[in-house]
Order: sequence, then C-alpha cells, then structure tokens
Amino acid sequence: MASGASPSSSATRSDPHKHSTTSQAEKRAPASKEVSAVIDSLKKKLAADRCISIKRRIDENKKNVRGITQSTMRSCMERGGGSYKDGSDLLVKRQRDSPGMKSGVNASDADKSNNHSSFLEDGNASSTTMVQGSSVPVKISLRPIKMPDVKRLSPYTTWVFLDRNQRMTEDQSVVGRRRIYYDQTGGEALICSDSEEEAIDEEDEKRAFLEPEDFIIRMTLDQLGLSDSVLEELANFLSRSSSEIKDLTTEDMNTEHLIQARYEVLMKEKEVSESGDNQAESSLLNKDMDGALDSFDNLFCRRCLVFDCRLHGCSQDLIFPAEKPAPWTPPVDENLTCGANCYKTLLKSNRIPANGTTEDKTGTSSDGAGTKTTSKFSGKLNRKKTKTFPSESASSNEKCTPETSDSENGVQQDTNPEKVSSSSKVKASGRRGGRKRNNNRVAERVSRRTQKRQKKSEASDTDSIATGSRSASDAKHKDNEDATSSSQKHVKSGSSKNSRKNDTPVDDSKNSVKGDDPFSQSNAVASEPCSDGSLRKEEFVGENVCPGGLSEDKSWRPLEKSLFQKGVEIFGMNSCMIARNLLCGLKSCWEVFQYMTCSENKASFFGGDALNPDGSSKFDINGNMTNNQVRRRSRFLRRRGKVRRLKYTWKSAAYHSIRKRSTDKKDQPCRQFNPCNCKTACGKECTCLLNGTCCEKYCGCPKSCKNRFRGCHCAKSQCRSRQCPCFAADRECDPDVCRNCWVIGGDGTLGVPSQRGDNYECRNMKLLLKQQQRFVLDAYRKGDKLKFANHSPEPNCYAKVIMVAGDHRVGIFAKERILAGEELFYDYRYEPDRAPAWARKPEASGSKKDENVTPSVGRPKKVA
Amino acid sequence: MFTIQKKYEKKTKIALNQTCYCMRLGKLRQEQFPRDERFEMSKIALGNESLVGSLTPSNKKSYKLTNRIQEGKIPLYSVVFNSIDARFFNCFVSAGGNGINLYNCLEDGGISSLHSYTDEDKEESFYTVSWACGVEGNPFVAAGGVKGIIRVLNVNDKIIHKTLVGHGDSVNEIKTHHMKPQLVLSTSKDESVRLWNVETGICILIFAGTAGHRYEVVSVDFHPHDEHRFVSCGMDTTIKIWSMKEFWTYVDKSFTWKDDPSKFPTKFVQFPVFTTSVHTNYVDCNRWFGDFILSKSVENEILLWEPQLIDNSPGEGTSDVLLRYPIPNCNLWFIKFSCDLSLNYLSIGNQKGKIYVWDLKSCPPVLVTVLSHSLSKSVIRQTAMSTNGNTIIAASEDGTIWRWDAVTK
Repeated sequence: MASGASPSSSATRSDPHKHSTTSQAEKRAPASKEVSAVIDSLKKKLAADRCISIKRRIDENKKNVRGITQSTMRSCMERGGGSYKDGSDLLVKRQRDSPGMKSGVNASDADKSNNHSSFLEDGNASSTTMVQGSSVPVKISLRPIKMPDVKRLSPYTTWVFLDRNQRMTEDQSVVGRRRIYYDQTGGEALICSDSEEEAIDEEDEKRAFLEPEDFIIRMTLDQLGLSDSVLEELANFLSRSSSEIKDLTTEDMNTEHLIQARYEVLMKEKEVSESGDNQAESSLLNKDMDGALDSFDNLFCRRCLVFDCRLHGCSQDLIFPAEKPAPWTPPVDENLTCGANCYKTLLKSNRIPANGTTEDKTGTSSDGAGTKTTSKFSGKLNRKKTKTFPSESASSNEKCTPETSDSENGVQQDTNPEKVSSSSKVKASGRRGGRKRNNNRVAERVSRRTQKRQKKSEASDTDSIATGSRSASDAKHKDNEDATSSSQKHVKSGSSKNSRKNDTPVDDSKNSVKGDDPFSQSNAVASEPCSDGSLRKEEFVGENVCPGGLSEDKSWRPLEKSLFQKGVEIFGMNSCMIARNLLCGLKSCWEVFQYMTCSENKASFFGGDALNPDGSSKFDINGNMTNNQVRRRSRFLRRRGKVRRLKYTWKSAAYHSIRKRSTDKKDQPCRQFNPCNCKTACGKECTCLLNGTCCEKYCGCPKSCKNRFRGCHCAKSQCRSRQCPCFAADRECDPDVCRNCWVIGGDGTLGVPSQRGDNYECRNMKLLLKQQQRFVLDAYRKGDKLKFANHSPEPNCYAKVIMVAGDHRVGIFAKERILAGEELFYDYRYEPDRAPAWARKPEASGSKKDENVTPSVGRPKKVA
Repeated sequence: MFTIQKKYEKKTKIALNQTCYCMRLGKLRQEQFPRDERFEMSKIALGNESLVGSLTPSNKKSYKLTNRIQEGKIPLYSVVFNSIDARFFNCFVSAGGNGINLYNCLEDGGISSLHSYTDEDKEESFYTVSWACGVEGNPFVAAGGVKGIIRVLNVNDKIIHKTLVGHGDSVNEIKTHHMKPQLVLSTSKDESVRLWNVETGICILIFAGTAGHRYEVVSVDFHPHDEHRFVSCGMDTTIKIWSMKEFWTYVDKSFTWKDDPSKFPTKFVQFPVFTTSVHTNYVDCNRWFGDFILSKSVENEILLWEPQLIDNSPGEGTSDVLLRYPIPNCNLWFIKFSCDLSLNYLSIGNQKGKIYVWDLKSCPPVLVTVLSHSLSKSVIRQTAMSTNGNTIIAASEDGTIWRWDAVTK
C-alpha cells in the first residue's frame, strides 16, 4: 500500500461532494484529453509517493540490517577467538599448511599469454585488467576421505496423519471430513479452505486495488467534476465498467452528503418495517432461521447425509421431492408425557379444577365468553400455585385500582408459565415512556388506547383484568429466568410514568410492563423498532381475540418462531416433539403448545373474522415470514455463489475428469449422476434423462418415475451374477430400492458384513488404475489405506467401478479366497509400455499377458 | 507405495521440469507479457508498483578473475563461505556429485585445498552444503543431496560427526542458524522442512502438513535476529514464514537429550505464520534482508518484498513487492544467489555463466557489475560471497570453481 498516498487521500476524502455539487451546477464536460492529463498527473503523483515510501522503508530496513549484521559479525569473532587452542585446531593448522593452487598465476603468465585475447571477454570488470589464469585449470590432487555408504530410505512424501487423511475407518461418520469452523463472533459457519493461499490472494487484491483507485477517482472528480466523460475516462484507465465507478462515487457522495437524509429514511424504515430484519442484529438467538438454514442448505449433503461432504462438495442445488413425506407422528399415547413441563400434565392439572375447560375452547373463542374462560383458566392456575388467587379473582370483576396491587403480588410470586397477555404491547410502550424515547407519542398512543380500552372493558367487563393478571403471572415466570433488580426498577419507573400520565385504566398496562420487561431487555433491539401502529393493532387483536397468543408471539424470538415452524413441518402438531428436538432449552413443551394453539387461533380468527379493521394481516406470523423470506433469499443466493466458487477451486481436478468422461458419449456406465428436480414424472427435459443417467432416490421426481432404477428382487445375497439387475448395471444394491436382498432382520451374523466382507470401498480414491482404459485415478493426495495396496500382475483382488447411491466408487473385490494376513494385490493396469520394470510379468510375452491381466473386468485390453 | 520410481539425475530433472514448465507456464507468460512490458508497472496494482533496477552497471566496484579450479567433470551445485567462525572466513566448501571439498582462499588470489570427502555411494549427488558449528566450536559441514541423507562432517577432526537420516527424498538446501549454529534447517523434495540439531543428531521439528508446502521445498533461511523464525519457499510457488516459538522447548531439549536420537519426540509444525505467493513460478532461493525478504523465482528477477503479517491471525497477511532486480538469462530453477555478511552486495550466476552483482544498499537497485568470461559458459548454480564482499566464488555446472576478487582502486 502506498503509505505516502494514503494520508493525502484521506485528507481529501471530505472534499468530493462539495465539489461535485458545484461542478454539476456548471454542467461542464471536460474533454477527454484533459481528463487523461489529470489522470496521468495523478498517476505520476501516486508513483512518486510510492517511490518515496519505498525509499523510506528501505532506509529504515537498512539501519536495521546494519545493526543485525554487526551483531552477527561480533558473534562470529567471538566464536573464532574463543577456542583457539594449540594443537586441537586442526583445520586452522591445515589452513596454514595447505599448498596454494593457482591456475596460471605462477606459470601461465609467460607461456599462456597468447591466450589472453581469447581468454578474456568483454566483461566490463575484467576487461581492464590482465587476468592471470590459464585455460587449463588446476586439478585437485588430494586424497579424499571416504564416507561409508548409508542406505537411503525409500522415497516418500512427508505424510502427517490428519483426520481428514483417514477415509475408510468411519466411512459415514464426520471424521475425516472437511472441518467446519464456527466463527464465535459472527455466529457463522466457515469452511476451512484447503488452499489458504488462494483465499488470501483475493483479499490482497481487493485491498490493494481499492485505495489508490479511490484516490484517483476522488482526485479526478475533485478537479474536473462529475460528468459522464470523466467517468468514462476513469473507467478506461482503471479498466472497469463505468457504472461501477459511478456506484463507487455516488456511494462516496452519499455517505457524505446524504447521511442525514438517509439516517432519517432508515429511522422511518425501522419504524415501518416488521420486526424480523431489525431483530437480526445482536445475539445469535435473534438471528432468524433462514440464516441458519442457509448454511444448512449449502453445507449439508443430501446424498451422504453429512455436513460438508467431500464427494459432492457443498452448495448442491436444493432438490425438493415431489412427494413430501407426511409429518412424522409417533404413536400418540395420552398418558405419556415428555417431562415436567409437558402440556399434557399441565393441561390435566388445569382441567380438573377448571371443570372441563378445554384448551380448544380457549383457542377458538373470539368473543367475550372465550376470554372469560381463559381468564378463569389462568385464575385456576394461579390458585394452584399462588396464594393471590382469591384476591385476584375477587378483583377480576372490577376494573382498576385494586387489581393492580394484586397482580403485582402475582408478579412477586412464583407462578406457572402462562400466556403473556395482549397488553404486552402496552407495556412495551410503557417501557419506552420510561426511557423517555418518543415520550409524547407513547403518551398519546396510550391515552388513545386507554380510552378505547375503557369502552371495551365497559362492554366486556372481565376482559382486561384477566389479561392483566395473566400477564403478571407470566412476568413472574420470566423474572425467574433473569431476575434483575434493575429491570424491575426500570419497569416500575416506566409504569409509574404511565400511570401518572393516564390515570387508572393504565393499571393493567403497568402490569404488562412488568411482564414484558425481562425479555424486552434481553432483546431490546427486537422490540424497540416495532412500529407504534402495529403495536396498537396488536393490542386490539390481543384484547379481543386471543390475548395470550399474541404476546406470546412477541416473547418468541424469530429463531424460535422459525424453529417452531419447521417443527410443525416435521412433527406436525406435536409440541412434545417440537420442544424436545428443536427448542430444547429454549421453550418448554407447554409454551410450545400454547404458541401452537394460539397461532392456530389466529389463523382461524383471521380467516373468518373481518371485524378487526387493520389487525389481521400484520399479525399473522406467516405473513411476517414470507416478507422476510423474500429479502433473505436474495442475500443467501449471493452467498451461495461464493461457496460454490470455493468448491470448485477445491477439487476441480477431480471434477474435471468426471466432466470429461460424461461428455464422452460412448462411456455409458460411468456417467456422473446429478439429481434432477422434476416435480412431476420425468419427461424429456429431465436432466437425468438428458445426461443419460437413471433417476435416483435423490431426484425430485416421484417414485413412479419411469427413469428410475427399479432395483432388484433377488433373494438375500444372491446378487452375484448378471441376473441381478443391480449387478448387471454395476450398482450396489440399495435398501431403499431393492426388495429383499438387503434388508435383513433378525440374526446379524449373515447380514451386510458378509456381503461386504471383501469389498473395501474406496471413495473418491485416485489410483493409478486404468478403468476401461478411460481414465486414471491418482491416489497421490487422497485415498484410504487401500491405496497402499500394491500392484501385481497376478492379483488376488480386482477393482470394479460400481454405482453406490448415485456415485461411482471403486470397489476392490476379492478374486479368490484370501486368507487372513495375506497381502492384497490388484492390477493397476499399466499400459504395457509404460509399466515399470518391477510391474511387468516375469514371462512378459504379449498375448498371454493380456489374457492374464484382464480377466477381472472381462474386457480384453487393447494391445498398445 | 507405487509411485513410479525414476531415478533422475539432477540435470535431467531440471531439463524435464524446465521444458514442462516452459510449456505450461513460461511460454504462456511471455506471450501474455512481452518482455519490455513486463518490467513496466502496468500489470501491478495501482500504487503498488515496485522499483526496478536498470541493467547498466555502475562499476562502483569491479572484480577480476584470479583463479579457476577444475574439481572434476561433475556439476557443482553448491559453494558456501564460512560465515560463522571468524577463523575460517577464508574457507569455503563446495559440493557436487558425491564429493565435498574444502578450500581456503589465499591472500594472493590462490586457492588451497583443505580437505576432500567422498561418499562411497556413487549415486549420491550433493545438492547443498552448509557450515555449522559444534557446541565446542568445532567447525562442521553439513551436506545433503539426492539420497536425502544429511552428512555432518567434523572438518576439524576429519571425521563424520553424524549422519542424519529421515528425509524421504532429496535434500535441496541446508541452512544454519545464525545464533545457534548447531541448528540446521534442511528442505527436501518430500515437501517438508526439518530442523536438526547437528551436535546431537536429532530431528527436532518437521514443518509440513496441513498448511505446509505442496511440492518440493527448495530454499530456506533463518531470520537474522528473530531466532524463532525462518522463511521457506518451494516449487509450489509459495513462500512461507514459520515460527518455532511455541516449540522452542524442544530445541532446548535437543541439546540435553541423552537417549537415542530416534526416540526424541519430534513434533510436526503444520501451520506457517505467513503464506504468500509473490511469484508465479517455482521459487528456488530466498533470504532475509532485515525484515524484508529477497526471493528468486525462475522469472529472471529477484524480488525484494516486505511481508506484512497481521497480528493474531496467523497464516494471513499481505506482501508488498518493493524492488526488483532483473537477472537476464536466469530462468532455470536451482540457481541461487548469495550475499556478503553485511548484506551490501548480492551476487548471482545465470545459465550463460555470467555473474551479476547488485548493490543492495541503493534504492532503486543499482547493478554493480557483470562478471563474464569467455570460458564460463555453463550454468552457475550458486555463488558465494566472502564475508567482506571482496571475493566471489562461483560454482559452475561444468565442475569448475571460479574466484573473482575485488579490484582495489
């Protein structure tokens, strides 16, 4: 980096936008000559700066070097002086004694002088002096000291045992696969690249390019103003597209010029936009699932069912099967609970005191009665756990003041995890009020709301109270999780403010402040940007319909939500499974259950009820999600592109051969399979069909697809002749496809191992092994233990390419009975003229050899 | 193992590689950048240009040929002055074929032969030699070659001190630690760099593996003042800086190890602290110049560049090429340059038998002189500069040793 240039560039950084405005006003279009002159001068300046910086650094280094060399010199001197003892210093003695050899200094001057003209060359150094020396150099006549022969090691490349060198032991395990590092700070999965240099190089270039270029652009625009011709000239100079430069410059300008405007825009956006995007900022949990799924999509190999498979590379195209498997439902046992917090136990415990208030009722009811039942419900719950119940229930028919106190009581006590009430929004705003942010607005809103609420509560009396109490209980639950006194204080201040501003009816909002605060603190970013409008809507919806659910909706972080969604996809409406498998440690079964019923309600509610004017669309989770997904998608498409690039640099060599092979039409059996993503039965445009491969189970097409390989119907362990379609097609039997041959229940003694006993699978192995004279595998860097097996013209094993789960693999099979401890050999299939001497057959006579060498594959080798 | 075993003579190997490489890269390169353009700055990132030396000699210092010795007909690959022990500053050692020879430079321009060593195995061909030092200050010479065996000779007592076996293939270079001359590094075709203690004959560390070199390692150099660091380069076109800091206890241990050397807990170092490719072709010689690095590829020039390491993120960093020293006709690999002890001058031979002497102190680079002779026509694989820079010894592939002395004006 031109360190000389960078300070100046940074100094001028603030100028351009000023200038651009003036120049644009002038609308002056400078001639290209002028532009190039300016650019040239700038270039020169840069070069000069660079020159100076180099000189400076060299000078610095020179000083450094001087110090170093002096110290080494000193140490050399010490070494020399230290051990100068008489007698023992034989080399010094020898130095003194040895006779000098001089080619020609003594002898040649006279008699070889005629050689001088030819002897000397036009070399500038030697041409001036008459060099002594002869064309016949002095020979050494010294008796050499013998060094006894030491046997050399057989040549090898230093081989460090790495996990990833190991392939065979755990073929399907994670061991030996490329490591994925989880970046702690970014919360992102990184792939440890095989070629560090490449990655670094790219970075280098980027960095190296930008600064001086920026400098030139800025300076040129500074001098000439912003116009198309200038940009063009610049683009020519920098050999980039002008739009890029425009981008660059406008970006520069923008950052300077429009920062405030943009800031405002951003602020607005924040207010308007739904939660998802903004929430993604701080902690991992606030990231939503698409990010996580992104790496999953890219890194998880759907064919090997491992992360980051080495064979297929990462970032395969996502193939969605046409037939979606139904959500898996384990046998439902009413009595079986998943744990202490299982919804079943809790429901049961509720049901008994609630006298048959079912969760269904709570769920679907959208009128006053419904809410009533819920409130009852919660009241019962509370009674179970707390002593405040009587007072609460007593207050539940009134409106305002007494209720506050008791719900606060509730807060202080340990209650059940309950639905957070609708008023969670109120509390959010209340909290804000406490923070003195948008104070007035909140006040306004609150007052408005409270007015409405008053009306409402007049209409249906129990409503708000019930919610209030419930939220309180929930708050308690949350408090347990991270009970911080500060938060409570904070809450109080907020609520007190609220209550000051709007008198009595705000009480329940106060409660709700309590309820919300702990988690609103935990993801303050998340809740903050929520728009006022949506808050209000939320509130109404909540109050009217399903108080618990909506606030629940708030307390659920986006990641949890999307995990829940996925859980529903996988397990159906089974909160136990979802909680245990996906939300372990995050949510209890009970919470999941509530959320589930709630979101169901909402769906039904929004579907059927048009009463609420504005609430519906905003609060549908799904609506939220889709909104996000669109945005996300584009981002990870970009990222996927990057990953893909990585993949190709990583093992382009291996792919190359495959690609080559697949273009070769004659070579039918060794086509690379790539799953197609046909949605219906494969037609003519199916990629598999075009590519000449069968459809496999990884394809998107339904199972009835005609292009699919059907598998065999052989009896167990009968797949050894060409009668078995699998065998004939050089495929390994697949339990997913074949009927009988593979799946064996009962005794494990005769199962898979016996069939595979002599089949060492060598995945992705590169051997010097000619298969059907088409390609060569080179096991220089990759391969498992079997790559060390030696060649023999009379092997006891043979290699065969078989199709295993869509991939071609080299299997080494026994040709004959091999005893334990016997060395394995197979035929490398050297070309007769290329084979090293030791690989040739002892009786290397042409035709005979060919017959002997190639029986395994059954195709006689072409005699070269 | 079934790698095809071909016994390469070094010469054929070079020829082979060279032709291959010319076809693969060299020719291509030249097509892309015609010769003149290559030295212009256009191809280098803006603001990252390096200063290129001109090939007109300044004749600030001139040398004259004072002696020539025919050692044999076998190519000489290495010649090194002693720069460890002040007593032997006049001594140099040459290696080639199965012979190692010690010489003494006399004041009057003569060369006296001190010792001569021959490996009994005719197949041995020494590629590299280096001076070392025993703990008692005995002068040692360590040499390695095609067999991958390193011979440590006690040249004081004319005995073989140790024979270091371990490299899986030919040894390309041996360098000695500046401050602890009992430590030597050897680079090998087996893609590893090994740190040895020549006093005890222990292989202390092996630098290879995950982030190690991916092809023959050709050259290595200890950092002049950071005793833990060294730089290595190889045919995978990368240059790597390694640190032994975390493993230094093993180095200390190696001095006191009483047991069998093979039982020493040799450690693998798999991650260099810095990797870069400033060259696009085989890198066959590198050397520290203060904190900068001089390195040479087969692209007819030597680069002086600064490695910019990033703290706390080993393996990363950038390199900034500052100066370029063009060397015409120098695109064979295994041609090595040398500097005098105070790093004032650099000398390098080329494949036409000429020697280029560059002034390292000047910026932009100044060519001091070109040494040429009508009889010097074959490749000069390595030159050696005496500690004061007044004598240059050149080892030629035709088996001759040339002595050039500075002319005092």
